[in-house]
Amino acid sequence: MSLFTFPQPVKEARLLPELAALTEHHRLCCLPYRRILDAIGSAPPYDSVAELPWLPVRLFKTHELKSIPDDEVFRVLTSSGTTGNRSSRIHLDRAAAAAQPKMLAATLRVVLGERRLPMLVVDSRSVVRDPTLSARGAGVLGMMNFGREHVFVLDEEGVPDVAAISAFLSRHGGEPYLVFGFTFMTWRYLYEPAREHGLDLSNGILIHSGGWKRMAGEAVVNEEYRRRFAADTGLTRIHDFYGMVEQIGTTFLEGPAGDGLYCPDFADVVIRDPETWLETPTGTPGLIEVVSTLPTSYPGHLLLTEDLGVVHGVDDGTWPGKRFSVLGRLPQAESRGCSDTFREAA
Amino acid sequence: MIVESRFPAGPPVGVETMVTESRAEPPDGPLAVGDERVRGFLEAVARRLIAPNVARRHPELAALGFFLRRGEVSRALDRLRPDAENHLRVPRGLVFHIPPANVDTVFVYSWALSALVGNHNVVRLSPRSGAAALTVLDVLLDVLPDTHPAVAHSQRIVSYDRSGEVTARLSAACDLRVVWGGDSTVREVRRHPLPPHARDLTFPDRSSFAVISISAWLTAAEETRQRAIEGFANDAYWFGQAACASPRAIFWVGASHAEEAMADFTGRLAAVAASRWPVDAAMAVEKRVAAYGLAADGAVGRVAFHGNALTMLDLADPAGLPRRWLGAGTFAHARLGSLHDLLAVVRRKDQTMTHFGFAVPELQALARALAGRGVDRMVPFGSALSFNGVWDGTDLLAEFTRLVTIST
Repeated sequence: MSLFTFPQPVKEARLLPELAALTEHHRLCCLPYRRILDAIGSAPPYDSVAELPWLPVRLFKTHELKSIPDDEVFRVLTSSGTTGNRSSRIHLDRAAAAAQPKMLAATLRVVLGERRLPMLVVDSRSVVRDPTLSARGAGVLGMMNFGREHVFVLDEEGVPDVAAISAFLSRHGGEPYLVFGFTFMTWRYLYEPAREHGLDLSNGILIHSGGWKRMAGEAVVNEEYRRRFAADTGLTRIHDFYGMVEQIGTTFLEGPAGDGLYCPDFADVVIRDPETWLETPTGTPGLIEVVSTLPTSYPGHLLLTEDLGVVHGVDDGTWPGKRFSVLGRLPQAESRGCSDTFREAA
Repeated sequence: MIVESRFPAGPPVGVETMVTESRAEPPDGPLAVGDERVRGFLEAVARRLIAPNVARRHPELAALGFFLRRGEVSRALDRLRPDAENHLRVPRGLVFHIPPANVDTVFVYSWALSALVGNHNVVRLSPRSGAAALTVLDVLLDVLPDTHPAVAHSQRIVSYDRSGEVTARLSAACDLRVVWGGDSTVREVRRHPLPPHARDLTFPDRSSFAVISISAWLTAAEETRQRAIEGFANDAYWFGQAACASPRAIFWVGASHAEEAMADFTGRLAAVAASRWPVDAAMAVEKRVAAYGLAADGAVGRVAFHGNALTMLDLADPAGLPRRWLGAGTFAHARLGSLHDLLAVVRRKDQTMTHFGFAVPELQALARALAGRGVDRMVPFGSALSFNGVWDGTDLLAEFTRLVTIST
């Protein structure tokens, strides 16, 4: 059963009342959220998803925003504070914590099917063993739920273990299997060794994420990535995905044809013009707002990211709805003040 | 420990060598307060900075040029002198300047005033310095060949990266250390001890606000209001509202009609800001994060976006004004019954109060009532960023000198 089924008008009609209700729910249950809506004068009725009030995603780094009492907090997720900044703190109650892997599974079912597949993990086992689990480790661990008989591509020293890959392939290579890793690592540690050793990956289903920034050094863009995997390893079922801890469980998944990221039925994106904040027309880049009905325990259902993106088309691809790409990250605004964090001289 | 020698230009030099050289007596004798060898140099620098080809590209350098003109410098020295009959002013010795990396011109003000009163100086120029700083450096180097050799001998601008060792050595060698750049910088630098007789002159984080008389605003002529708005916009937006002196809050002073005055002011400011100081998407997001965050905290009751260039935040409590940077073009505002109400608002951290519609006696009365608890400058709209030899409550030329008592 696929979770990529609603044409855009249907999706809009279904999501709008749910999201509007969530907005009122969070307004009632999260005082800081209510204050924000009051301060910007946001009140129903809302006539479209794009009209609903969004929060800058960075607020989850600066503020504790949750719609559940302290004694119902079941788990607190934190993002990787990549640039030495504070990390986001996302509060889940028992229900939200349970819904999140369930919805991820339902989203991936369209490409993975119903059964757990043998799984090749493009990382090293140590990344999931570390007691202070990194975001990368958590991502790998989360995805490992979807596979069985896991084999790690990197040995404990972080070196590609070609013998292990070959053994995996001789055992499972004749049937579909799952491959997961961060985009850069799949390129460096799977594509390159596979090409070098002539490995046949044609039955693999590759799920990868992490963005294209680190791939810039390799001068490889998505089209090239897909083309060369297919040409040199036979691997054609490739799905990039986009998601963030602030909307955990919501995964925007690349379609089979590589023509963009698609939104599952319970989610959507709105690309906003950073000048007018209105939704941009198809084909015009802007800031990505991620929309999802999953966040019930914290007001994260409408989040303006700091990622730039563009919608390529609506209801015109393999799956219905919007298909879009992430174009990169907005730079951090710089202060030119006298007050300068001047660590270098001290 | 090696540093890059930016002025005078030269090969990388060892810190020990540099310290020894910097302490040595210059050709034709020690520098005096107001030494003509330095004044001649500064005059030539000023001429270059005011020249149209420089001033057009970096208007802030023209302001610096005017500050360094012979006439201005003479006036500053005249204020310092004549000394009392039994006191003679002399230089402090070797001054080590640590200017901020991101306000390009501060290092010149700091260093030039210190040189003017005869000090030997070592200025640490950040390797991250911007275009204006590099332009100044070019001007200094250009002028140097026609300058008395005592200048090159006694004045140095150096760069070095992330070296506590170099900072420690220069700190141990200097007679006065001048630290700009905020609380964290001051704390970091203070880990390095000075010689017992030496002292720090520090310029930590400051914040600033504006006051407007409601009645004066509403009765002011059209041109007066427009000129005031342009001055205010310059004060606020020039350094992306991040300079210590950039106003971040506005207090409307008067019993009534605040809404009317705010609406007129905001409309005009929004127009000026949108045309002259547009902000990019990153800044727009930064501002949203800051504004929503203050709303979430309950510190502001209403957030109004006038395009991306201007955000107005209604303060729930005037004393709760945000003193940190909120992104270019974000103003918290509130009404106060009288200037006297500022007594409950002002803190030591408050530096500049830009004002509109108040007379000198009112401002003096406020300063007396504040009694040094905060606010070091009260200047009209448009003057917030004008550097002055008296800064942060300190007379820099006096700080850069010592007094020798001579009586018979």
